[in-house]
Amino acid sequence: MTTITPAAPSTATRLPVKPLALGAAIAAAWLLLDQRGFAIGAFWLIGVAFGVVLQRSRLCFAGAFRDLILLGDGRLFRAILVGLAVATVGFVFLEARLAPDPGFGIAPAGPHIQPVGIATVVGGVLFGVGMVLAGGCVSGSLWRMGEGYVASWVAMAGIVAGTIVANRQWAWWYDNDIRERTAVWLPAELGGYPAALALTLAALAGLYVLVLWWESRTPKMPEFPAPPPEPAFGLREQLRQGWERVWGGHGWSYTTGAVALAVISVFALGLQVPLGVTGGISLWADNVLGWFDAGALPLKGSELLAGCTPGGAEKWFTVRTATMLGLVAGAFTASVLSGEFRLRRPRQRSRYVQAAAGGLLMGYASVIAIGCTIGAFFSSVPSLALAGWVYGIALFGGAWIGVALIRRLP
Amino acid sequence: MELDVRGEMCPYPAMKAREALAKLPAGECLEVLTDHAPALSTVPWEGAKLNYRSTIEPAGRGTWRIRLEPAEGTLDQKQALAEIARRAAELSKG
Repeated sequence: MTTITPAAPSTATRLPVKPLALGAAIAAAWLLLDQRGFAIGAFWLIGVAFGVVLQRSRLCFAGAFRDLILLGDGRLFRAILVGLAVATVGFVFLEARLAPDPGFGIAPAGPHIQPVGIATVVGGVLFGVGMVLAGGCVSGSLWRMGEGYVASWVAMAGIVAGTIVANRQWAWWYDNDIRERTAVWLPAELGGYPAALALTLAALAGLYVLVLWWESRTPKMPEFPAPPPEPAFGLREQLRQGWERVWGGHGWSYTTGAVALAVISVFALGLQVPLGVTGGISLWADNVLGWFDAGALPLKGSELLAGCTPGGAEKWFTVRTATMLGLVAGAFTASVLSGEFRLRRPRQRSRYVQAAAGGLLMGYASVIAIGCTIGAFFSSVPSLALAGWVYGIALFGGAWIGVALIRRLP
Repeated sequence: MELDVRGEMCPYPAMKAREALAKLPAGECLEVLTDHAPALSTVPWEGAKLNYRSTIEPAGRGTWRIRLEPAEGTLDQKQALAEIARRAAELSKG
């Protein structure tokens, strides 16, 4: 069907909102660059890009695990595997510049190479249960907050509460587990980057085939076909169609989103650290408690740990908080530009309880495992860290439990 | 029968639709009211698996009514899937 559709009339009537949303995001970036230095401004923009990508492609990490288990649908999961492979290649180049000789066994600072221990496994399982209960992981909740999902704001309140509790118990986890564990870095174990890269890519490819096999047991949904190309006449029409491809209601494919996210993460690591959001949430939650002399930061021994930690001396504007705020702003901007922003409240009241409880679990888990699906998984596997794999497997186990739980819910 | 899942996001629209269809008396239709765009493909697909044909009409801004009615004969699932995916892409575009 090749009908030429005019520009959607509904967008014309609300036109001023769009330039305003776009202008606000750019103005905020300008302000941060000017006031807080290059890194903060740059990570705000990285956060905005992060939010735009998540909103446009609906790249939901919780859904990736859940739909594979619940519906036998592996489209999201396979897209994330592709994203991980792309990020891995980029990370290897950057790590090889930071630490040309991995034989010394000293991992570069920056990449997310966390210790592997009980906290990694417990954190992964708790996070997996929490994200399925809440209907989105931490980045998923941040992006839907920007899109107007009220339940995601409740989930975020739970996440904040969870990080506050876990920050108080951190010393116990640190003394009894994390302190003694090794941050296993594959290039040091396997005698160089080529072997670590080959092993990681082979494992991702193997998993991809495994997911395809799993999906083949039930008839599966195909990816949305690309909308039929409309004939374009002249520059104006070409530009309009280009705009429609980026901001149109059909969104981007999951794979486009995952690859874009990988590229953003490589840029972020090139600047300083790969993507991560929970460190920023934990820092701000603790700062607010600090007003009442009830802060728990800095975390014991965390200055020696890699991953999504709440950070060091700077109290408010760190690269993590810039990423976190940018993500919400980016998702909001993208949902306004595509006409999808709307306040949405679940009719089922119990969803709020689910969101809060799931958030609490995720918040707690993200502190002890030093990251969420982004910081401890999507940024950790490409860092060639064993922790990312262990966390990912634990996430799967947790998601399995979570699916069993939501099946029994009203 | 009508199922109002407005405000619900994945996976609940599809899960609730599946449960409702399982309880639905033979020959009856189910109408699902949703404001979650991904449900435009997931709900009809749950229907197709149980041999229900689907039609979708807009019901206000960003809200849709998905009507699932029992198919005569057996649905060709492959064809139904392709149709569902194409329609969902077009609907969420407008």
